[in-house]
Amino acid sequence: MDLLLVEDDRFLANYLSQELRACGHEVMVAHDGHAGLRAVLEHKFDAVVLDRMLPQIDGLSVVRTLREDGITIPVIMVTALGQLGDRVDGLDGGADDYIVKPVDVDELNARLNALVRGRGWTVSETDTITAKDVTVSPARLRAWYRGVALDLPKLEFNLLAELVRNADSVLTRKMLCEKVWQYEFEPKSKFVDAYVSRLRRRISDQAGDDPIVTVRGLGYMIRA
Amino acid sequence: MQRLSLRTLAGLFFLAVLVASMVTAAGTLIVTRRAVAGFVDQRITSESDEIAEPGVPVTRSAAIGRIQDASRRRDSGDIGFLLVDEAGRVLAGNVTLTRSLPLGLSTLSVDDRIPGLTHGRALVRDIGSGMRLTTLAETEPIQNYRSARVRIIVGGFGSIILIVIAGILMLGRLISRRVGEMRHTVEAIIDGDMKSRVPVDGSGSELDQQALAFNRMLDRIQALMASISNVSHDIAHDLRTPLARLRANLALMHREADEPRLQEGLEAALAESDQILELFTAILRIAEVEGGDRRAGFADFDLALLLADAAAMMEPLVEEEGRMMQVQQLPEAHIHGDRQLMMQAIVNLIENAIRYTPPGTRISVGLSVSGALARLTVEDDGPGIPADLRADAMRRFGRLESARNFPGNGLGLPLVEGIARLHRGEMTLENAAPGLRVVITLPVSAG
Repeated sequence: MDLLLVEDDRFLANYLSQELRACGHEVMVAHDGHAGLRAVLEHKFDAVVLDRMLPQIDGLSVVRTLREDGITIPVIMVTALGQLGDRVDGLDGGADDYIVKPVDVDELNARLNALVRGRGWTVSETDTITAKDVTVSPARLRAWYRGVALDLPKLEFNLLAELVRNADSVLTRKMLCEKVWQYEFEPKSKFVDAYVSRLRRRISDQAGDDPIVTVRGLGYMIRA
Repeated sequence: MQRLSLRTLAGLFFLAVLVASMVTAAGTLIVTRRAVAGFVDQRITSESDEIAEPGVPVTRSAAIGRIQDASRRRDSGDIGFLLVDEAGRVLAGNVTLTRSLPLGLSTLSVDDRIPGLTHGRALVRDIGSGMRLTTLAETEPIQNYRSARVRIIVGGFGSIILIVIAGILMLGRLISRRVGEMRHTVEAIIDGDMKSRVPVDGSGSELDQQALAFNRMLDRIQALMASISNVSHDIAHDLRTPLARLRANLALMHREADEPRLQEGLEAALAESDQILELFTAILRIAEVEGGDRRAGFADFDLALLLADAAAMMEPLVEEEGRMMQVQQLPEAHIHGDRQLMMQAIVNLIENAIRYTPPGTRISVGLSVSGALARLTVEDDGPGIPADLRADAMRRFGRLESARNFPGNGLGLPLVEGIARLHRGEMTLENAAPGLRVVITLPVSAG
């Protein structure tokens, strides 16, 4: 995808753009808020990676300006380490997601994919969602794998639904923690893994095998 | 020299005032009594001299005439006279005596049976020609006056002593109140409330100045403590950009390295730098929590629901790690706080319980409410922490010898404690006999 990276630290900007290009993206770099705003107006990007702390106008003002002008481009805010409050500000200001410095490029890539792919997807609550062999109905809390109706506890159902909703995108442990449990801290322990293996066991017990793919060192996904 | 206690000093002072008052009162009494007695003596002497001037010969008839005169006169009507000759026969006078009085001044009492006289003074003189003149006066009104005077003196000095006692008591209470305020402050600071200060009334008194000086000392200590805790924060803050660059460089090299040994080394270096960055995240997280800014986002929530959430979140992992999760009765307990941080605290405690116990350990979460306090517990029946090592376990970077073999940075419990403090509560470690019980007490919200 075409990305705009707004980062004033030239070294980190250089590193991040190289890494993102290695992930297969086109990356344009802007070093301050004004340049970033100009670039968004002049070019067409799929998403913006925006540093929170920028000279002249900071990331928060940039995203506010964009939203006030009706520009709905997906924005991932990059916030400083240990400033939990800033993340909430960032989301309130109109950013779609945030990531904490130092940026883990795989995590950033996973979030960009989920964000850009998930964008066009709008289903009403009554709809069922399908990814290849898996179908979930969030409204009825029901799920089927290869036609077999699955009996799942609520949290495991939510986990499966989240993977189906973001089919073909890798969801990191952190993203799952935020989306399924609605807690923002970084889990040091592997509680997400324990949940996923329990879910996989339960599906296998009922349907023979399971559709969840482990992406080593990164997270989980379901193929569409 | 041994210092006197305030109480002893007050006692001695009171004793000194008492003795001084009594001596003064007794002295006054004696001196006035003497003065009054002297006045009566003077009067009978002068009356006696009227009858017969010393050294001037007087005839018997003249003396008798003068006595009769004086007895009739109004100003000397209360004076008694008795004139006798050498044989003791009465020549003139208006009193009779039952005993012979000695020459010179003497005191009369009711025993002398002089009609109408209970107390009195007498002067006996030889006035020549064998005559002996006795002049006497009653001192009864003076006696009555004396008892009034005793009452005045006892009343006067008594009230002075009462005022002194009241003064000592009031001063004592004032001093003990101020000292008590200082002691409360010291105790609050020992309990960890570094913001506690001695109340100052602005009077500028010595005690007030003492309190001000004490408060300034506390300000200084607090500033020093803050700067110490800021050091680790500042280091983490200032080093994160260079470290992020270091990690980025390593990651770029790792991507381009094609030799397996080089790749392996770079992977290890990346893992190390990730660990350092994680440590910095923990330090900055504690600094953020201690800063108290998160209180701005506080909202009411039910601790029981959060605890149930946390237990449900961790249960599969606990089971996978071969431990058992037990959720006790969770009564409703609304608190005003930060759900995210509180969740982090509970999850940290459960993670610790998994990490530092052997498989087969039972991990139990509980909640109780008594009065205005909610008591949240995470306990295990593992090896526990000996009482003398619990303070070490709570110290920043404080890692017990027995925990050296486990991964961790020694910031887990300090973060939980910081979160408890942010919520105006506290964290304590208890012996669960067997095992460790971590208790977080939190004030429940008023609404």
